[in-house]
Formats: sequence, C-alpha cells, structure tokens
Amino acid sequence: MTQVPPPFDPELAAALELIRDVISPGLTMDEIAEVRRGPGIQMLAELDLTMGGFFEVEDRTVPGPEGAPEISLLICRPAARAVAAPRPVIYHIHGGGLVIGNNRVGVDIPLAWAKEVDAIVVSVEYRLAPEHPYPAQIDDVYAGLEWTAKHAAELGGDPQRIVVAGASAGGGLSAALALLTRDRQGPEVIGQMLMCPMLDDRNDSPSVHQMAGLGIWDRTANETGWTALLRERRGGPDVPAYAAPARAEDLSGLPPAFLDVGSAETFRDEVVAYASRIWQAGGVAELHVWPGGFHGFDGFAPQAALSRACRGAHLAWLKRLLGE
Amino acid sequence: MKELAGRLTALDPDAGAAVRVIAYFDRLAEARAGLEALVRGAAVLAGVPARLVDADRRVQVRVEADGIRRESESPPDPAWPCAALRPGGAPALWLERAEAAEPSVVDAVILERAAGAVRLVLDRTRGRAPADDPALVETVLDATAPEAARLHAARRLGLDPTAPARVLAPLDGRARIAPAHPEPEPPPDGRVGVGPAVPVLDLPRSWAQARVALRFTAEGTAQDPGPGVVHADELGGIALLADLVAPGAEPPPDVQALESAAAAAPWLLATLHAVASTVSLRAAAAEINVHHSTLQERLAHAEHLLGWPLRTPQGRFRLGVALTMRHLARP
Repeated sequence: MTQVPPPFDPELAAALELIRDVISPGLTMDEIAEVRRGPGIQMLAELDLTMGGFFEVEDRTVPGPEGAPEISLLICRPAARAVAAPRPVIYHIHGGGLVIGNNRVGVDIPLAWAKEVDAIVVSVEYRLAPEHPYPAQIDDVYAGLEWTAKHAAELGGDPQRIVVAGASAGGGLSAALALLTRDRQGPEVIGQMLMCPMLDDRNDSPSVHQMAGLGIWDRTANETGWTALLRERRGGPDVPAYAAPARAEDLSGLPPAFLDVGSAETFRDEVVAYASRIWQAGGVAELHVWPGGFHGFDGFAPQAALSRACRGAHLAWLKRLLGE
Repeated sequence: MKELAGRLTALDPDAGAAVRVIAYFDRLAEARAGLEALVRGAAVLAGVPARLVDADRRVQVRVEADGIRRESESPPDPAWPCAALRPGGAPALWLERAEAAEPSVVDAVILERAAGAVRLVLDRTRGRAPADDPALVETVLDATAPEAARLHAARRLGLDPTAPARVLAPLDGRARIAPAHPEPEPPPDGRVGVGPAVPVLDLPRSWAQARVALRFTAEGTAQDPGPGVVHADELGGIALLADLVAPGAEPPPDVQALESAAAAAPWLLATLHAVASTVSLRAAAAEINVHHSTLQERLAHAEHLLGWPLRTPQGRFRLGVALTMRHLARP
C-alpha cells in the first residue's frame, strides 16, 4: 500500500525549507552525540529566562530518586509579590527524544503562560538515554515533582495546583508522571499538558509509516529514541506504562488532559488514540489535531498562523483549568 | 527534539540566505498560500514589518515581524525598500526598514520573490486590476450583455457588485471603471468626463453620461479655456445642449462669431471665459491678471467684434452658451 502523507500547512512547508540544512527528519544512535553538541543547546544558554525581568530565576539541586544522583530544578518565580493566594505551579519536563536536551529546552513556552496566569515554573533536569535507560527519566521527574509539591509553599506556590506540562518526550514523561502519581497516590496533579507527546514505543501506527523520512522526528528517529530508553525491550510484550504511556491498560482516574499534535507527524495516531482512550475511560481530555502541522511546528515557526492558533489553545486551556 | 535547530527568525545576510528565501517563497507558492502568509514570510525573514497595498484591487495587508497582522494608518515611507507587482508598476510591497541602511541583497531577494508570488495570488483570486482587460470593461459597459455576464466581468475587474461605481471617459476613448468611494483620482493630464455613481448594472448609463461630460471639457489653454474634468452630475440641464450641437457639423452662428473674433484678438477666448465663469468683472480681471480698466476696454472691443452686449445678464448668458457650444462643436 502506498503511503500518501497529508500535506504540510503552506507556511510550515516553507519554514521546513529554512531548517532543512540544520535538522533532518531522522536521527540515528550514532548522531546523538553530534546533536547534543549542536548549535541549539548554545542558543538555549542565551535565552533570557527572566523574560525581561518578570521572573526571578534560580537553579536548585534537590535529592534524586533513592540511590541515584541529585537532580537540578530550574525555578522561575514572578518577581512581583504574590497578590493574595499562593501561585499555581507549572512543572515542566523538557523534550529531546529522551536522548538530548536539558531543563532549558522549550521552557520559554511555560514561561510565557506563567507570565499570563501569574504562575511559578519548575523545569526538571533528568538523566538521558541511552547512557541511562528506563526508569532513570521517570524516576528523576517523579523525585523532582515530590520535592516541588513538598516545597511549593516555600516557593510561594500552591501544592494543590500543580500542572505538569511537556512537549514531545517531555509530553510522554508528563503523561507517565500522571499515571505514576495516580498509582502511587503521590503529589496531586490537577492537569496534564501533553504537547505533541511521545507515547508509544511500538512505532508502528499508520502515521508513523506515512511520515517516514518527512518533517521532523520520523520513524527512524523515533526508533532511536525508544531503543535508547528500552534497549531490546522496545516494542516487545513487557514495556511498562511508565515508560510508554500508550501501554497503560487503565486510563481512568487521571487529571484533565490537554493533548495536541500535527496531522503531518509521526505521533498523530498515538496521540489521537490516547485522547480517545481517556474519554472511553470516563476521563476529561481536550484534543487538537493541527492540520498540516509537523512535529513541534509551533517552536520552529512561532509566527505562522497555525502556530499562533496552537499556542492560543494551550493558554486558553490552562486559563480554564486554573479557573481564570 | 523541536527546539534544537533554533527558531525561524530573521535571516543573517550571509551567502546562503538568498537561496533559503527563494526556497521559502517557492514552497509557499507551490502550496497555494494566501496573501497574509506571503506578507508574513517577508516580515519574518526580513525581521521588520512588511506591507502590501494594491489600491486598485483594494487589498491592504500589513504584518509585523512577530507574524501578527496589524494595519497602519500612516502611508508608506518613500525611503523603505519596496517592489512593484509588475515591471514598471507603482510600488506595492514594502519592507518597513526605518534606518536608511545600505540596500541589502537579502531584502531585495525577499521583495522580488514575495512580490512575484503576491502577483500570482492576486491575479488568481482577485482578478486583474481594472483597465487591465479591455474585453471585461467592454462587457460591463454593454447594456445588451446579459446581467450575469456583466456581474461576472465586474467581479473579475475587482469591483464589488454590491457597491456603486462610476465610469471615467478619457480622451483616448478607453473607459476606466472605478468604485464610487473613494473618489477616483483623475488622470494627471488630459481631459476626462466623469460619469455618475451608479449600481454596477447601470454602468452603461454612467459611461454614456461620462462621454457626454467629456465633450464639455477643455484643454485649459489660452485657445481652449475651460475645465479639464467635468462631472456629468454637475451639468444639469446644460447637458441637453450636447444633443443640439453635433460634433464636427457646421457650428451655430454665435460660435462662428466667437471663432472669427478670436482670430482677430488672441486674448479674446481666455478673457471671455474668465467673464463667463466668475461672479464679477473684478474677479474676472483678477483671474486673467489684467487691470479692471483694461478688461473694460477689451470687453468693449469684443462686443464690437461679436455684435452682442457682454455686460448685461442676458448677454453674459448668451456668451456662456456660445463658449459651451464651441466645445461641443469640436469634431
């Protein structure tokens, strides 16, 4: 069967032309080291995390999982004194295919929300695959969440109003964290923002095959990321839900979810399926499929009309969740 | 993965930038992107606001470098880099680069590629600009053509079929159709008759009246004094004279008298036009820059040549009619 991919949105197709020299759809295990050294990480170091003085920024080292190294949290708090009630907390988990990135990656997105809704952003650093396979990542982000919930008051935050949020691999880890806090009766999470999340290690949906070699993060890259995490267990029968949330049997009792994905990306079908299964389990989810969007399009081309609609939807959901 | 390549931001003017600009607009055109996406591309790649103004087709799009559309009241600055939509045309696309910097190659490539893509979209979606297509104009002005055909042609010319429009009749005989609002700019030189504002289906009538109005116009020279632009609306009953005086036929006796008097006195026509078109002899003298007493002498001489008085109300009226008929009698 021939695979006809959905067309990219015109503006996004043009944006892909500009970045095609810098980033390719695929990623192999051999290329991970090179991408980690690439220009993207340097650019992140130059990011103004205070957003023009709005936030006070600190890096704090907190205890990691039992028997594991400490982890680093980037904490951004509005510099102005809180009006009355403690602030909501956005617990951010970065993307990077589980193999690259740090807690600066993509943090400008939750910082922009936090500026609108007067929230605190905590962005967690986690150990990367393949050096650190599953469950290092989920253990780190869980430990960071526990610390954040326990110390929220001291940061001026409300431990009853923590939202987890992440894009791509960070979206997958956010979904896994929501499952884990439910099952362990851990810190309360009131919402999960899953932006183009990486959910399914089986890497075999129609959209996976349709988009092979196209856009950003294709089937090859996806296989690299999941294999780095799970090694030979990837795609096999015994992959835990906390590694690949699509494997969860039970999606009931989860906090309200926001999910979005482009129609022209590898993750389309697994994200749509995850949202459907939340509804089937009696849960609350809002799903957006952005027509002609490639993976992470709003980050690469924030000026495009579709990107603005996408970012508007993120903020609108968050405002409704927080009752603003 | 997504942030690692950095963001789509204004391009550095390095060697590869022009190639990427070309690829960018090629992809937009290939995917049949709309005007806003094209103008946004120009703004984002240049890092400054970009604006498109096509007055004929009533298109105005301004997008700032953050990708958000914000219209502006202020007119384009002539110092901004700009491009026309077709060779030799008026500027239609601007990059609002305030500082009088060195002309940049990247800006030039952005403008050229964006303007080319914009032109294709406009031709495809809004029809060609009015006056571009004589066959469409002819259809709109043909009262015997079916209404549906006339409305279709009007849309193709970029006219709003629900808004009033008018026809301008220049001397070259090629009708120009323009929306009634805003008031169309008359051609910078030459005579033009302006038809009344009417619904699109009544444009044949506006055209007929514009052509009548054209006959009342003049070159505005000493030998052909009078207004260059005449509005049919303002003629009133005077328009009836047009039916009585056939162009090129033997002129009425009063016009013949004017012609022979003008041959004897070169100042005569301009002087008599001033008398007929101002409210007093004092104003007429000021109009043609002569002393009041000089005007009195000239009028006495003219009365002698013409054979009728010019300083009575009835005589001035006869003079006005004679001067008007002189225009109408031209071949």
